[in-house]
Amino acid sequence: MLDKGDEDAMMEIAWIIPLFPLLSFLLLLAAGRVLKEKSAYIGILLTLCSFLFSVLVLWGRIRGDTYKAEADWLNIGEAHIKAGFEVNQLNALMLVIVSLVSFLVHLYSKGYMQREDRLPVFYAYLGLFTFAMLGLVISPNLLQLYIFWELVGLGSFLLIGFYFYKEEAKAAAKKAFIMTRIGDVGLFIGMILLFWKTGSFDFQVIFQEVEGGGITQSMITLTAILIFIGAMGKSGQFPLHTWLPDAMEGPTPVSALIHAATMVAAGVYLVAAMYPLFLASTSAMLIVASIGGLTAIFAASIGLVQRDIKRILAYSTVSQLGYMMLALGTGGYTAGVFHLMTHAFFKALLFLAAGSVIHAVHTQDVEEMGGLWKKLRITGPVFLIGTLAISGVPLFSGFFSKDEILSSAWENGNYVLFGLAVIAAFFTAFYMFRLFFLVFSGRLKKQGVLVHESPRSMTFPMIILAVLAVISGYINTPWFGTFLGSWLTEGNPYLEPEHRSGPVWIMGAATLVSLAGIALAYLIYRRNSISREWLGGEGSFLHTVLYNKYYVDEFYQGTIVWLTGFVSIFLSYIDRFIVEGLVNGIAASIHKLGRLLSRFQTGQTQHYGAIAFLGLAVLVIIFALTGGMFG
Amino acid sequence: MKEVLLTILVFSPLLGMAALLLVHGTQERRIKWVGILGTLPALSISLYLYGHYLAGHSLNVFSEKAGWIRFGDFQQIDPKLFTVDYELSVDGFSLLMVLLTTVLSTLAAVASIHIKKEWKGYYLLFLLLEIGMLGVFLAQNLVLFFIFFEITLIPAFFLIGKWGYAQKERAAFSFLIYNGFGSAVLLLVIITLLARAGTTNIEALKYLINTEGVPLVSPIPSSMKYGMLIALLIAFGVKLPIFPLHTWMLRVHVQAPPSIVMLHAGVLLKIGAFGIIRFGLGIFPDQFKDLSVLIIVLGVINLLYGAFLAFIQQDFKMVLAYSSISHMGIVLMGLGSLNEAGLQGAIFQVVSHGLIAALLFCLVGIFYERVKTTSIKDLGGLSSVMPITAGFLLASAMASLGLPGMSGFISEFMAFLGLFKADPILAAIGTLGIILTAVYLLRAAMGMIFGKPKLQVNSEAVRDMETAEMVPVFILLAFIILIGVYPAVLSNPLADTIQNILSGSGG
Repeated sequence: MLDKGDEDAMMEIAWIIPLFPLLSFLLLLAAGRVLKEKSAYIGILLTLCSFLFSVLVLWGRIRGDTYKAEADWLNIGEAHIKAGFEVNQLNALMLVIVSLVSFLVHLYSKGYMQREDRLPVFYAYLGLFTFAMLGLVISPNLLQLYIFWELVGLGSFLLIGFYFYKEEAKAAAKKAFIMTRIGDVGLFIGMILLFWKTGSFDFQVIFQEVEGGGITQSMITLTAILIFIGAMGKSGQFPLHTWLPDAMEGPTPVSALIHAATMVAAGVYLVAAMYPLFLASTSAMLIVASIGGLTAIFAASIGLVQRDIKRILAYSTVSQLGYMMLALGTGGYTAGVFHLMTHAFFKALLFLAAGSVIHAVHTQDVEEMGGLWKKLRITGPVFLIGTLAISGVPLFSGFFSKDEILSSAWENGNYVLFGLAVIAAFFTAFYMFRLFFLVFSGRLKKQGVLVHESPRSMTFPMIILAVLAVISGYINTPWFGTFLGSWLTEGNPYLEPEHRSGPVWIMGAATLVSLAGIALAYLIYRRNSISREWLGGEGSFLHTVLYNKYYVDEFYQGTIVWLTGFVSIFLSYIDRFIVEGLVNGIAASIHKLGRLLSRFQTGQTQHYGAIAFLGLAVLVIIFALTGGMFG
Repeated sequence: MKEVLLTILVFSPLLGMAALLLVHGTQERRIKWVGILGTLPALSISLYLYGHYLAGHSLNVFSEKAGWIRFGDFQQIDPKLFTVDYELSVDGFSLLMVLLTTVLSTLAAVASIHIKKEWKGYYLLFLLLEIGMLGVFLAQNLVLFFIFFEITLIPAFFLIGKWGYAQKERAAFSFLIYNGFGSAVLLLVIITLLARAGTTNIEALKYLINTEGVPLVSPIPSSMKYGMLIALLIAFGVKLPIFPLHTWMLRVHVQAPPSIVMLHAGVLLKIGAFGIIRFGLGIFPDQFKDLSVLIIVLGVINLLYGAFLAFIQQDFKMVLAYSSISHMGIVLMGLGSLNEAGLQGAIFQVVSHGLIAALLFCLVGIFYERVKTTSIKDLGGLSSVMPITAGFLLASAMASLGLPGMSGFISEFMAFLGLFKADPILAAIGTLGIILTAVYLLRAAMGMIFGKPKLQVNSEAVRDMETAEMVPVFILLAFIILIGVYPAVLSNPLADTIQNILSGSGG
């Protein structure tokens, strides 16, 4: 039996968890050229350490209480800004999710990236990202969270642009950085406003002020919305979502780690971490829920028609993140966090499996694939497990978490959003099985590739994730007990204790909807008994709009990007002609004046003498009139 | 020793100059070594001062004073009346500026290894420039300040005009005319103050001008105080630069040799900020307070104007030039806030931008040496040909766009923190600059680093950065990250200065 001291001792060392990957980053940066492919081992080993410590910390938190340690970091006048770390239920859970997925991705990359010359750089960037993400989740205050928030953005940027010589990768990396930064400015402003209203960046202090009525209602709503804008940028919520599908230009393991399981979930984490602030404003909650619901259906509808395997998964991620926001916005704290966790596992699994498929057939176009079930004897089944989980088929993890979300929306009484979520669930099941059938059934359309199963370093992480994609749902079920929910809300004064809510029929309805989606996909893409074109084939209006992602990118290009360029060019003309022109004008007039005065330079002493005398006379007169030197 | 240490510090580059005179003009290696070593005494003394401060001792013991110039004979009335002494002193703020100067001087001297001709003249002027810069930050009266200020102009003029690129003469003259104009305006203020108050000692002026009922030689009406403050803003606004007085510095950025731009953008422009803080805000706090909204507006204009223009430049050096204008807007915004956070942010930005601009130009020097162009569209794919240089370039672009963990973030954050308290609306408009900064820096940096190698880059057998070149780059980046991770290295020495300034403005 452990006593109290041991649990604290476990959590006391939580600060070391982010430092392992940081060490990996620094080590590989300094010595990568010498280590070459051995770099992979350093990265894998150090993230494994992070994972093991995270498990210890989670264990410590389960048995113990919230732990927090901090010290002065920056003094501004009387204000002391602190830095430190905190272990509470939410971030102990996040530590394990992040370090586990990161470890598995490190391992997987060993096989996936083995022919890459810049392997040390890749692992260095992975280390940097993991460091930042782990640092983000243990931050005890908003400023520190913001710092790591930006650093995960850097990691994401570097990894999206890893193939720097590809124009698409370059554009995607730039877009990701800028679009998330637009969101970040919201977070930045919200954070500063909260500081001036509460005198602190510390989460607990802010919550106390909010509850104690130290802030006006409108300010609570304003700051909550501003912080949510930050979350929208990171979590790819409409209308700041367009960078996420483009981010698929990065190597596939990166998509699994950053753009599916961890970083994009940071927005959801932020809302969850700031939950008491959101709870204090019904309008902010409604906005979170609406944006989430809208994003869920919007992205799912785009996912229906895409051809690139990674982009389908990317839109699916956007849609699932919308689900999580919807859950949080309708008061389903547990539902949101629960889905964050299950999604991290099954989406990471899907991406890694997709990577394995791409590894085998060297194309990302699903229309060129087919018949891979028999050839990829491990990838196929694990992909199916991931697909079943995300589609919400009973007994798989996604089923339980999605059910929680639907119940939460229903309980909240927002039936429009509930309806959207149900339709989105149908879409999800449909596009995921469309993807599955196109890839694994039928015949391979691409010629001349020798399909082979991936090496063990790649299949092992997939198998682990597949197991988790099945069992992770059982920590919070209406059947066996809501362990996760009870634990998450325990001892938190701002959250209601978990209670099983929502009518039982929702579970049945959700099952029916997802089975209907699967059936439709089966009839169209497996049996071909329904024409693919029954709702409008390629070239039809609906297909074109969806395939072109509702033209959001084009809209931005035509408005914001254009306007920025226009203003810049306009100002450059001002700079060149007015500012510079004014100066040149002055210079020219001085030049003319000089010419004029040079006429007095006659070379005759008499003239000079006369002018000198005149000048003296003027000075004397001024002196006399003003009454002396000092008034 | 302590009584003359500041004098030794300021004039220590003379040692190097004397040594240079003994070296023959054709001995390139030796001249460069002597030039670099010549910056070290000042660096060591300034580090000693910082160590002295860290150990918890007062910096006042270093103040020194000697009688110098006396106008007229007013001994009976007040022995200090109409005298100009030789007086040097150091406080937390000037200590940081001195450290910035000595560190950048040494690193720029190392980066000057790319200078191709007349090394002896170059290093002589370089060391003279350092004397001027050090004196500016330590002078305790306006006349002495002005003299050192002028000392910086002359070597800078020749360094730009002789060792620069194609249009170096035009840039040098532009530099001289604008700065000469600024100096003239500054001189007017100094003479007026001397005539009216009978002294130019900064501490004395603070007291004389802001204390009710103290008799002056000749009273200064309120309107004249505003006039003098505005004149100071113009004089130092040329230097900073403040829109629309900025066009000269664009040319200097583009035409001067990169090692000189390191000092120019790193230290010389910062004299503008230093002057506004020390003299504008220091001597005329009440008037400054009344004009604070104007200062903030000017700051926001600088920030956005510079950012928009940086967005469409084709030459990387022009991007950096407009970026400097944009970043100096943050200094003004912080100053205009007139609270601890804002002021601290402004001073942080002065130091931080000094380091970052120096780093960026150091890198410009390194890759220009190899590819002979700084045009963004001719470059591309630098990452393939010189991965280390490209990596550092990307890191410094990140520093410049205010990535947390680096110094630029701390200053930007504090300036905005202060501004949101003082004027939330203008602050909100200013945050647009945060986005634009990322946009233009990524456009420029990624344009050069990412993509396929262009012909221009590929055609030569390009080597990556050498060890000697890596030294200044690495040290600068280390400082930038140190300040970003542990900002107390700057904020602790500044605490007293900021209290002192704010108590002056009654806020």
